[in-house]
Amino acid sequence: MGSRYLIRKVVGACLTIFMIVILNFVLFRMMPGSPDRILLRNPNVTADAMAAARTRWGLDKPLIPDQLVDYLEATASGDLGFSFKFHGEQVTDVLAGRLWPTVILFGAGEVLAIIFGLALGAYSGWKRGGPIDYIGNGISLILYSMPYFVIGILILGVFAVGLHWFPTSGMLTIGGGDDTFASQLLDFFGHLALPVTTVAIGLIGQYSILMRSSVIETLGEDYVTTARAKGLTSGRILRSHALPNALLPAVTLIAINLGYVIGGAITVEVVFNWPGLGTLTVTALEARDYPVLQGIFLLLSISVVLANLVADLIYGRLDPRVRS
Amino acid sequence: MRSSLRAKVARTIAAFALALAALLPAATVHAKDLLTLRVGTVESLDSLNPFETALNVGYEVFTLNYDLLVNFGPNNEPVPGFADKWTQSPDGLSWTFHIRDGMKWSDGVPATSADVVYTYNLELEGTKNGGVVGLGYLDPYLKDSFVTSVTAPDPSTVVITSSRPTTKLTHSYIPIVPQHIWKNVTPANVADFENKVPVVGTGPYQAVESTSQYVRMVRNPNYWGKQGAADEIVLQYYPSAPDTMVAAFKNNELDYIHSPSAESFNQLKTAKNTVALASEGNGFTQLNYNTYTKGGGASTTAIQDPAFRQALGYAIDKPTLIQKVLLGYGTPGTTQVPPWEKAWHTEPNDVRTFDIAKSNQMLDAAGYPRGSDGTRVDKQGKAINLRLYVPNTTPDYAKDAQFIQGWFGQVGVKVTTQVLDEGTLVDDEALDTTKPAKGQLNYDMVIWGWVGDPDPNALLQILLTSSIGSTSDSQWSNAQYDQLYDQQNEAATDAERKTYMEQMQQIFYDQAPYDILYYDNNLDAYHTDKFAGWQNQPVVGGAPFFQDGSINYTLLTDASLATPAPSATANAAPTAAGSGGPAPTVAPAPAPTDSGSSGSPLPLIVGIIAIAILLVGFIGMTRRRRAAAAEEDE
Repeated sequence: MGSRYLIRKVVGACLTIFMIVILNFVLFRMMPGSPDRILLRNPNVTADAMAAARTRWGLDKPLIPDQLVDYLEATASGDLGFSFKFHGEQVTDVLAGRLWPTVILFGAGEVLAIIFGLALGAYSGWKRGGPIDYIGNGISLILYSMPYFVIGILILGVFAVGLHWFPTSGMLTIGGGDDTFASQLLDFFGHLALPVTTVAIGLIGQYSILMRSSVIETLGEDYVTTARAKGLTSGRILRSHALPNALLPAVTLIAINLGYVIGGAITVEVVFNWPGLGTLTVTALEARDYPVLQGIFLLLSISVVLANLVADLIYGRLDPRVRS
Repeated sequence: MRSSLRAKVARTIAAFALALAALLPAATVHAKDLLTLRVGTVESLDSLNPFETALNVGYEVFTLNYDLLVNFGPNNEPVPGFADKWTQSPDGLSWTFHIRDGMKWSDGVPATSADVVYTYNLELEGTKNGGVVGLGYLDPYLKDSFVTSVTAPDPSTVVITSSRPTTKLTHSYIPIVPQHIWKNVTPANVADFENKVPVVGTGPYQAVESTSQYVRMVRNPNYWGKQGAADEIVLQYYPSAPDTMVAAFKNNELDYIHSPSAESFNQLKTAKNTVALASEGNGFTQLNYNTYTKGGGASTTAIQDPAFRQALGYAIDKPTLIQKVLLGYGTPGTTQVPPWEKAWHTEPNDVRTFDIAKSNQMLDAAGYPRGSDGTRVDKQGKAINLRLYVPNTTPDYAKDAQFIQGWFGQVGVKVTTQVLDEGTLVDDEALDTTKPAKGQLNYDMVIWGWVGDPDPNALLQILLTSSIGSTSDSQWSNAQYDQLYDQQNEAATDAERKTYMEQMQQIFYDQAPYDILYYDNNLDAYHTDKFAGWQNQPVVGGAPFFQDGSINYTLLTDASLATPAPSATANAAPTAAGSGGPAPTVAPAPAPTDSGSSGSPLPLIVGIIAIAILLVGFIGMTRRRRAAAAEEDE
């Protein structure tokens, strides 16, 4: 029974990824604007130069089957091709350099948001109607509805431009002579502080609202009443009976959100000029860099599919009803 | 159980406290050994290979890495570069360049005439039979000079011969690259050559580190000229984030920024130790008409009629556009050769000025009467409704379009404006010559811009008949213009060249395939407390960087070593001589105001939001309390 559930989910995920690979190809070629013309908007360009670029990038071949077959073959072998914009660089190299900054930024932001969001939500739900609940819930709602870039610009304006506490952008201070590892690490954390806070603040509301309602719902369950009737302290009830059950929906949300760690929030990266996949997406989109865009979307969709798979599996394990 | 949870919480809190403590002093870790010049730009470098870059920042980097055979001087005049002396033969058909004695590449290998021969032959071989070297942007310099051979009779002499007398060889943008590094690069594979770091050149600074976010360049130990105060230069890219770039500049993370928005530029004018410099640019923003006559294209034949386009020219109030859209940072446009190209620009006769009555009268006279609803009709009796497309690259274009829509409406020409994705528009504007024209070129008017080279050929050629299918966005075809282009290109002297070019500008202006709306200013800003010795190029009316060549980087001095005189800002302020061009706006810092207090209204906004949150929470709480009390009463 269990293994059949597992197989069904894994096969489903593989099929989804295959569909995405095909869609990826079609989607970017349906976009108006060909890369050769975008790159070549320069008064010195000639028709010959344009033709040469098209040949070099394989754009002169028919879309189907030639370009599609090339694409599928290459993708299957892990070769995502060459970037148009960053001449000659392998897409996999371009992506690899941009992956870890995004993972660190959103990974750390997610962790902070999960810890603080769940704690705030649980406390608010438990002390429903208390001052923390009203203020916390109010703040959560406001943060939940605020786009990342608004939070980012506010934070940037206050803590970097206004108070000069933190650097505004980038990931490291470039140049300036030899650095010790420790000073580089400090420099990195300094650059990370504001964007990671933005991500965390942007996500806290989501977790806190979910956790709050989940805790409130659980506290109304019969087994909680029973526990109370047994004479347990309210702290004990919360920890042993209410919280574990209230965490179930949060687990799903966390797993799904982790899928977006790679996709990130493009706007945060753009506001802080963070060298991650988000800023790369914007650059690649402007240059119509098909290979890079395909690579990003592939990575993004695979991570979402995998995160969903993980959520399904965890949920299946935590809640036996799902498996049947 | 209880204690363990408490301990966990305590541990978590302690961990975060530690992390925060680690974060706080991070911002103060800045004092390091090297004097670094940090430059911000909104472009991101596409290639370290000079033959493969399409961007302003690419030219900036390769002119730092390499010398041109002859460099661009303070006023873009020819100054020693890879060659230190040159002479032209009396018949004008051959040039002899002397290569500086004892010059070395940054890796210590002697730099000789063989390197020039290698580089120029790469171009000559590659452009034979209509070929292209890399992206092809550097091809015109030798092609338009009619160069036939490049030889090196000895290690310090290069002789270049051409089939016609030429004056363009001393304005060539082709960088001299080291043969010993590039030896396997041929025209066929030049596009694949990455030119990885550390780059080897003869220029003042060499790229040693290059990522998608920045390029770091250090002093060339073997540089032949005077060196600048900066030990290293970091060019940082802020694609799609000009406001972040400005924030970084305000936070002293950058020493120089290129192309902030006009709004932020105005803010920087009053910042401490800051020079905000609006300088004349070598480019323009145009309203281009689709004049194509061979099927497909425009929605009305009226737009193919020069008289119709001229009449519309009187319905454009350029000074208003400059004031409202550019916030004053531009000058009204006339011809396709910007006044920045001082040697070549000529103001045309009969300049059109804003005059709605005259425009109406001319449209009537040209045979475009108003229909019953006041909208003019073309010669086929069709109501004229022009589609005006603008790219989404800057909000300025859409603002221009709104004004133009209003003015054209006043003369009975209906305009429908649409903002389009840049890629879509590029496709719309380019004729695919391999397919029938019918169904293509679906636009009437577009607002967009071009940026030129020091040599006017670049901006002259986009209007040639032969550019239809590549760079032409007006699809304009004028046999006389095409002929004059060849004549000016083949002219033996600059004076002769200019007479042809004057005619070209007048034809262009009268025929109006474009209406040049304005010549945009370049906006730059730099701090004066870290580096001094800022010089503009051209000296009057220019800007320090992102011009032509890298000379200004070598003139910087360490501001902390300079005598504390007001000269730092005085140097930077060009004395505005009335040489035709607009006086550059320079705003040296006024008396320092209390730092921070004059800054952004952000702290206020944050305060208001915080109060609002508290208020909402409080109201919500009292309401709930009341409701709960009411429930209990029931």
